[in-house]
Amino acid sequence: MSVQRSSQVLASEQFARQDQLPAAVAACYEAIAIADRDPLAHVLLGHLMLAGDFYDEAIAASTQAIELDPDCAPAYLTLGLAYDRRGGMWDQSVLVWHELAEVAPDLVTAHVQLGEAFAAAAFEEESVDSWKRALELDPKEARAHYNLAIAALKREGMSTALPTFRVAGALDPSQDELFFALLGLPNDDSAIDLSFGKPERQARLISAGTLARSEDFFGATDVLRLMLDENPADADALAIAAYVYLKQEAAHEAMACALRALSFSPDLPTALYTLGVVYSRFPGLATHAARVFVALAKAAPYHSMTHVLLAESLLGLQRFGQAKRAYGAAVRLDPACVRARFGLAAVHLTEGSYAEAQWEMRRAAYYDTKRHGLFWRLYDEYVAGGAV
Amino acid sequence: MSSEEAARLYSAFVGQDPASAIQVIERVRSSGVAQDQLFDTLYVPALSLLAGAWASGEIDEITFTQASVVAEQIGSFVMPPVARADTGVTLVLGTMHRDRHSVMKDIVASALKESGYRVNDLGVDVRPADFLERLEETGSRIVLVFAETMATARAVTRVREMFASAGRDDAVILVAGGPFTADTALARSVGVNGVITGAESALRVLARIREDILGGDAS
Repeated sequence: MSVQRSSQVLASEQFARQDQLPAAVAACYEAIAIADRDPLAHVLLGHLMLAGDFYDEAIAASTQAIELDPDCAPAYLTLGLAYDRRGGMWDQSVLVWHELAEVAPDLVTAHVQLGEAFAAAAFEEESVDSWKRALELDPKEARAHYNLAIAALKREGMSTALPTFRVAGALDPSQDELFFALLGLPNDDSAIDLSFGKPERQARLISAGTLARSEDFFGATDVLRLMLDENPADADALAIAAYVYLKQEAAHEAMACALRALSFSPDLPTALYTLGVVYSRFPGLATHAARVFVALAKAAPYHSMTHVLLAESLLGLQRFGQAKRAYGAAVRLDPACVRARFGLAAVHLTEGSYAEAQWEMRRAAYYDTKRHGLFWRLYDEYVAGGAV
Repeated sequence: MSSEEAARLYSAFVGQDPASAIQVIERVRSSGVAQDQLFDTLYVPALSLLAGAWASGEIDEITFTQASVVAEQIGSFVMPPVARADTGVTLVLGTMHRDRHSVMKDIVASALKESGYRVNDLGVDVRPADFLERLEETGSRIVLVFAETMATARAVTRVREMFASAGRDDAVILVAGGPFTADTALARSVGVNGVITGAESALRVLARIREDILGGDAS
């Protein structure tokens, strides 16, 4: 049964979804003035206060929403995030995330957040259990992998943590997106025929890239074959072929094609990307990977992920100061880059800067939940069903 | 090493002949090419030739894949060595008595081990006498003491006193931890030789000690 919403709540909701915070807050207070026992108005107010960095107010509003309806899942989310971001309230934070994990047991983020709250309170074993639970629900949950990497770093050092960072990175769709951005394909080309009106080679290149993105690797290979039959020295086609092989776990074919592409075009970003990713899979080639990613960061300096890849290769070489600078460049370009935030946290830990490491991980949590639109998902489910 | 050897390695790949591929590698190695150079001077050009043959249609998709399998099989013969060479330098480290902080210690210990140092990790809550005992056992001259609270940081002076009473004034005592990073005078007041501020700092300071104090000798 769906929850009834007052017109003030509806207005506040609409403003909030459009990021018009002052208008949304005003509508929210109006809703509370009319019906102060409406959990929706309080949870919305909590969300808005959190967005404005008013943590104490967010905590008060979210607590009120939970008191009015203990099944109000979005209120647990805002309350937990407010506790985490305010800092120094780890005991309350653990309780809230535990509650959310009970109210919404399939909510992966609840387990990830619970693990982070445990870790901040120095309950290492409980935190690892929570992240493992999150990975049972979703094996591709990158933040759980990053957290496990940080836990491994604390226990066994960088050589154990780095492979876990790379596993998380491989699951991160933004790494593949980097390849397509380097290729010149926009983020979402599903509705547009990019190859229309282009010269034949360019059209084929776009077509091969589009097929590779949709993971139609056989289709992509057919198009690339046509291109290479015409010109076996086509560096762009060879670079896409390298990527296609890489995605099929054929590392040596990928390495061969990327090296061939670079023999014709030494600064080709797509070939540098693939070669660097392949090299980083071999521990003995850590220096080679770093060299390739330095070239990639120079060739494509405006993509945050190129700096992240460089930073990770530098971590493998124990050049933590240089890695910190590369991660810093990535975060400046994209403050929401969760991978860079966790990488920075790792570097801070190697310097004994625990508070800074915690801060980076809290920022990562903030951007990650925001990027997934988790509040609105929980809110809509709550409105539709009364409870998750 | 000429490009002829790379061409021979390529032929061995295409001919699916790992034994011949290894022979080529051994021949090049015996000609004076170092292990960490084999990958760049031999393997990379051979792989490039392989992709070139596939791109031009000289070999088909299946041959390309089979040749790549051979390239993978013999990869370990050309890969640069993973572990860094043993420095021959032994050091003893641990967290001070009544201090159970281990994160920084574990990270630094791992970084040092990976860089070829022989690390004797005594764990947490280590008494000054245990540092001395292990120093004597291993013949090391370097001790790295971690302390994350003011009380345990000040107590590091007991390690110096213990070493002095045992006639081990030659030992190099380094410290690490928040109190020493925050107050640089603290390290001097407890009589230690230097402060480490993190894993990279540890590698830098140890490299300097190796050069300046130990003169490159293993001890």
